[in-house]
Amino acid sequence: MSSSEILSALLASEVRGDLLILFHKNPGLIDTVDGIARRIVRTTIAVVSDVRELLQLGVLRQKRIGASDVVFLDRAKDRELLESVANHLKTVRMGGEK
Amino acid sequence: MTAPRPKAGASGFDQLFPGETEKGLRVKTGIVELDEMLRGGFMPGDAVMLAGSAGMGKTTLALEYLVNGVSMGEPGIYVTFEELPDQIYRDAKNFGWDLRRLEEEDRFRLICTSPSLILESGEDSLLDDALRDIQPRRLVIDSLSHLELFVKNDDMRMEAYRVIRYLKTRGVSSMLLWESTQISGGSFSVTDVGLSFLVDCIIALKPVEIESSMRKALVVLKMRGSNHDKRLREYDITSHGIEVSAPFTNYEGLMTGSPRRSVTEEAANNWAMAFAKNKQKHS
Repeated sequence: MSSSEILSALLASEVRGDLLILFHKNPGLIDTVDGIARRIVRTTIAVVSDVRELLQLGVLRQKRIGASDVVFLDRAKDRELLESVANHLKTVRMGGEK
Repeated sequence: MTAPRPKAGASGFDQLFPGETEKGLRVKTGIVELDEMLRGGFMPGDAVMLAGSAGMGKTTLALEYLVNGVSMGEPGIYVTFEELPDQIYRDAKNFGWDLRRLEEEDRFRLICTSPSLILESGEDSLLDDALRDIQPRRLVIDSLSHLELFVKNDDMRMEAYRVIRYLKTRGVSSMLLWESTQISGGSFSVTDVGLSFLVDCIIALKPVEIESSMRKALVVLKMRGSNHDKRLREYDITSHGIEVSAPFTNYEGLMTGSPRRSVTEEAANNWAMAFAKNKQKHS
């Protein structure tokens, strides 16, 4: 996946933006999808597809704890994606300045 | 060659790090006066209960314990059910503790989760990843009182025991925060659900009214396997953390929350006044 595709995928919806803000502000958050939805004042149905997208991108990871599935930020992958996006934005800006 | 058999009744820490307790190593809080009260610090691997009502500085003391631990080469984890971590990062920064930087250096983790998930049992624990990533020596749970909301009173002791055992068997010294509305009377009952006997050490934080102002008192109520200071000491929450000062010497009944001047102090003052009056009369 190219950097511009990653950027588009990360910012594809308002809910996805809210999820990214939540996890960047609280990188140690570990909760169920229900719990995460509550923390951004949304319903589970409203967030589930965006959580799935972020899991596919690798920003979030999922784990089974007892009878519950929890999601949390993959700090290493998140850092990697952010660096890639930042480099992409730098290139775009430099291209624009020319 | 076979490993030496652990002594009967040895704690998880003793089994993992044989001889460390005997060598006199202590888990220092980094708050000098508190370490003096604890005769050097907590015993390694112990479960410590930090009990007190709201606003007494439980979170501040617990964070300071972890941050000081990091500077002594002991990584730490703070598990909160209380607030979103971004508030804790902000509050910690006001004391000069940059938790985000410590996280980047893999010496600290702030975990925010639901109490119900800590109680889930299975092959994987919620804490496994963080324990593996930073190999902590200290861990704070803020707070056990939140766990109580998710379990029946009768089950609370068993669940707390399970959490304490989980940490002890991994050689982690734990500090468990407890929201206690009342710590008073001769019985020193800290919790309603009988958790006091599960922990190795209890530190109580208590507001006391002295001459119409609210002051804060700290006391070590229990410390298994070690001597400790039994006196109540005044403390304050300053811009750089908890500051413990001298013991309250002139007051009795501090644990009731409404202390009175001790008889000897009052008698001495009365004598001094009588002496001064008498001197005035004859001059």
